[in-house]
Amino acid sequence: MEDKKSKPALSRLFELAASHKVLLLLSGIFATVATIASFIPYLAIYLIIGEIIDVYPEFQNINTQVILSYALLALLAVAADVLFYFLASLSAHLAAFGTTFELKQSFIKHITRIPLGFHLNLGSGRFQKVLKQDLDQMEQFIAHNYPDIVASSVAPLLLFILLFIFDWRFGLAAFIAVVLAFGIQLAAMGASGSELMSKLQKNSADLTASTVEYVRAMPVIKSFGQTARSFRQLADAIHNYSDFMLRYALKWKNSTAAFIALINNIYLFILPVGIYIGRRSTDYRSFLRNFLFYLLFTPAIASILHKFLYVMSSSMRVSGAVQSFDTILALPEFPQHCAHQRISDSSVKFEHVSFSYSKDGPAALSDISFTAPAGKLTAIVGPSGGGKSSIAHLIPRFWDVSKGRILIGDVDVREMTEKELMQQVSFVFQDVYLFNRSIRENICLGSTDVSDAELIAASQAACCHEFISKLPNAYDTVLGESGIHLSGGEAQRLSIARAMIRNTPILVLDEATAFADPENERLIQTGLRSLMEGKTVIVIAHRLSTIKEAEQILVMNEGRLLEAGYHDSLLESGQVYARLWKRYQDSLKWGMRKESFS
Amino acid sequence: MSRCRSLIPTNLISAKGLTQAAVSCFLTSLSLMIPFAISIQIFRELLKPITGSDISWTRLWIYFAVGIAGLLINFLFSRYDYQKTYIFSYTEAKHTRLKVAEQMRKMPMSFFNIKNLNELSENIMDDCTNIETASANILPQLIANLAASLFICIALSFWDWRMALALFIMLPISLLIFWLSRKLQTKLFAKHISSKLEAGKQSQEYFEGIKVIRSSDLDANSLKHLLAAFDAVRRTSIQVELTSGTLLSLSVILLRSGIAIVAYVGIQLLSAGQIDFLLFLTFLLIASRIYGPLLTVLSLLPDLLYLRISTQRLQELMDGEVMGGTQAVTSDDQAISFENVSFAYAQEPVLSNISFVAKKGEITALVGPSGSGKSSIVKLAARFWDVDTGVVRLGQVDVKNVDPEELMRHFAFVFQDVILFNDTIENNIRIGKSDASTDEIRAAAEAAGCSQFINQLPDAYQTMLGENGATLSGGERQRLSIARALLKDAPIVILDEATAALDPENEVYVQRAISKLLAGKTVLVIAHRLRTIVDADHIIVLDEGKIVEEGTSQQLLAKDTLFKRLYQTQQDNCSWRL
Repeated sequence: MEDKKSKPALSRLFELAASHKVLLLLSGIFATVATIASFIPYLAIYLIIGEIIDVYPEFQNINTQVILSYALLALLAVAADVLFYFLASLSAHLAAFGTTFELKQSFIKHITRIPLGFHLNLGSGRFQKVLKQDLDQMEQFIAHNYPDIVASSVAPLLLFILLFIFDWRFGLAAFIAVVLAFGIQLAAMGASGSELMSKLQKNSADLTASTVEYVRAMPVIKSFGQTARSFRQLADAIHNYSDFMLRYALKWKNSTAAFIALINNIYLFILPVGIYIGRRSTDYRSFLRNFLFYLLFTPAIASILHKFLYVMSSSMRVSGAVQSFDTILALPEFPQHCAHQRISDSSVKFEHVSFSYSKDGPAALSDISFTAPAGKLTAIVGPSGGGKSSIAHLIPRFWDVSKGRILIGDVDVREMTEKELMQQVSFVFQDVYLFNRSIRENICLGSTDVSDAELIAASQAACCHEFISKLPNAYDTVLGESGIHLSGGEAQRLSIARAMIRNTPILVLDEATAFADPENERLIQTGLRSLMEGKTVIVIAHRLSTIKEAEQILVMNEGRLLEAGYHDSLLESGQVYARLWKRYQDSLKWGMRKESFS
Repeated sequence: MSRCRSLIPTNLISAKGLTQAAVSCFLTSLSLMIPFAISIQIFRELLKPITGSDISWTRLWIYFAVGIAGLLINFLFSRYDYQKTYIFSYTEAKHTRLKVAEQMRKMPMSFFNIKNLNELSENIMDDCTNIETASANILPQLIANLAASLFICIALSFWDWRMALALFIMLPISLLIFWLSRKLQTKLFAKHISSKLEAGKQSQEYFEGIKVIRSSDLDANSLKHLLAAFDAVRRTSIQVELTSGTLLSLSVILLRSGIAIVAYVGIQLLSAGQIDFLLFLTFLLIASRIYGPLLTVLSLLPDLLYLRISTQRLQELMDGEVMGGTQAVTSDDQAISFENVSFAYAQEPVLSNISFVAKKGEITALVGPSGSGKSSIVKLAARFWDVDTGVVRLGQVDVKNVDPEELMRHFAFVFQDVILFNDTIENNIRIGKSDASTDEIRAAAEAAGCSQFINQLPDAYQTMLGENGATLSGGERQRLSIARALLKDAPIVILDEATAALDPENEVYVQRAISKLLAGKTVLVIAHRLRTIVDADHIIVLDEGKIVEEGTSQQLLAKDTLFKRLYQTQQDNCSWRL
């Protein structure tokens, strides 16, 4: 067993569940009472046997009343056992449900405060795994395994006490059997437990990855007629996984079988002791009573201790879940400043900004300095991977710069609160995310003080009003429901309306490349035009023709700012921009035709 | 037992393996009766002195020796049982996974055309794991323990039927409670599962929309929705636990009260002189032990119900309709023809009465506003779906009658979303033709304008692409997909024209590569920028799922057509400045 690793994880788990101490304590007490009660029927049997032995073989002398009261005692004890076990389990479940509910809350609140970059990097899958799997496992552990842990720890203790009540010699023999059974099990687990466990986790992660890839790639695999090949690959992964799991499981075959054989045969340990004592006993009837008690009682130990096996294996599993939860929780939250800053204007200034996405990773931006003047259009051009998106990501603080600083109206963005910053900047991205809520909520995004008139005005300016009015419930139509989906162009326009409502002085724009049909495209252009009016706009440009009239064009390549200036002056200088422009012009001449096939 | 079978996904678990596992489990249960049998003999011996006869200590030693042999038998049986159960469980899970994978391979392309493909595959993985657990921990034990109880019950009733009845009378009642409450439990489980799914959906929306949420005042509001969903999970969990727990406890109390019933009935019979002490003792001993395994079964029954509901997705997948077809594409005629084709997607009509022919060696361009049916047409041509009415033919053959895999050999696709594998660049191109030589791959990469960026990568063609080639730019991915298509050299090319513009910096390269790809093929183009297809041989203009105009661009521009309007709007858009 991996004591070193799993113990801290378990104590960490109970630390996380600390706010439900009382329930857990109650659960522990109930489980203890249940365990004690579970022994009583055996005691009753012992007493019944004693009564019978006393009159043996004159059964007509049996005191039926007394014996029936013992039977009643057994019945009550059974009821108490079940009832208290139920209560123990219920309290543990309540504690578990409460704990995971709180952990989910704090998890969500935490990931709302970490830099957005982590979200872009890690993807929603990692977060979903914590919510769906890890917390689920922790819940299961507290709910199911915790009462069993208490019960199976109390049982040996009770056993130990019972040893001395009747005859310690029988008790010792029974105890040796139990210790031996567990010794075998622990030895087998300890030999290679933790190493195997990590292999096991890797194997199952590999299989998941292969399956996801298989399904994800199915469209392309089908279209290339390669399903047989990729099926073989997945089949290999499945075989590997199953073979490993089987080998892993079969490792315990001897120790598990030995454990089961031992705990079902504890009487064999008692028998020699019995023979030894019996031969020398003077009061045979009392010896017989004791001996019979132990023979009857020991099988009960088996069923209680059996639970312990499950507890051990699930505690290994839950430690992985706790670690994975803690890894995400350990991501640093954004430092937030509370002091209000006076923002002088809506210019954006980069001062010697360097940045890389990971600590030792390559620089995404090196020593970038420029000023996007207030109320004017600044365009960023250059090949993909040149640093355009990085600049756009740093302004709203998806990430923080590694060196240098970014100023909005002469205030460092790191000295603003998230709220203040968001009141300054809004973005229109290519990938518009729409929530499965009403159109109204999708446009207002939580601003509660938007009047209908404002909403309609913003939608009209963004060229959305017309198509929204045609929807079954107009602005109250819920997206995603009953097959209501917007086209790419409509979604783009909706995101423009969002930005209209936010009405921030600075706008970061990723010029759409996904193709809308001509009519949609015209509407998007109209919408953007009204949105940009009077604002400081920083645009990531793809089609160079659209930014000819920008106040400033920044040409990026490999994280460096190569050129900056007006369209005309950049063309004149005949450098990088001029080459890009020439290539762009060429691409406009292309068309698909038979003659060009060569 | 048959009732239990109906609880489990029988088309996913083999009856033979289950029988084997259950039989070995059953044998183990029986072998665990050996200690009882010997204990009873020990009792018999021990009671002798009080009835006047003499105890034989040697005989006790003999019982001890037999007991040791019994222990060994217990060991061997439970080892055998352990092996069989796990072999069964993992073999079953393996077969289930393979069956699922095989089934997916045969599903129509439309099945994969959903948004949350990753979620689907992860869910299916979970389902497989759940079945694995069920087949290891629940089913064999369930069957074996019930069978063993029945067996022991029958055996004991030959000895004394009244005591046997006392011992087992509560078992059917306990099972009855489960049986009667299964509808209620199923309902609760379904509610529980749907609350979990809802919470999953809410959190997914929260994660995916985080960029928007963070940059707006939405967080408080979104958080409210999400936390409400979490709270609903908590509440339904408590409901399930309370209901299931109460029912289970009731069954357990009833079952275990058997020990008191045995004592009561036994005393009555004993004092009436109808049974002897040894028999009484034996039944007491058995009563102290027999219920344990049955209780395990009882507590696992609800899990089985839960499993059945939670694996419904898998069941639906396995029951899903697969695409058939055996005919080969025989003729060399590679024209695609649509004859009066209508098609609806989820009850919504998408195409109505479409007829046209895309000839070999010609470019056929599909034009129209978004949602007009352009992409549906190319998907029907390649049989991603089957048409509702009408016929789609490749040459003379109805595509419905062609094996989808065989059909695909005739098509090459260049779409906007390129899917790359977690493999080397070379293997990513090789998917176009699995037996391609290295030279062929290089030639295709060269022709698609990929060689330059590939050679800049650390291991050139052997560079491993990360998950879905995350390190490559849109244009680079696009050119890799064109290299694949070039390597495949299929007679029919289906192309989304917008792909050419995904990477404006390198648009020229992509355009050249596309021109090479199209040479001499039957080409179907989904067109967005109309000036790129003004020279196409055949332009089909679609609106709301119908063909509204057809012809060359000269013919269409000469009249007052939708094409002309679209064309002019686009010309105006081009002169737009930010």
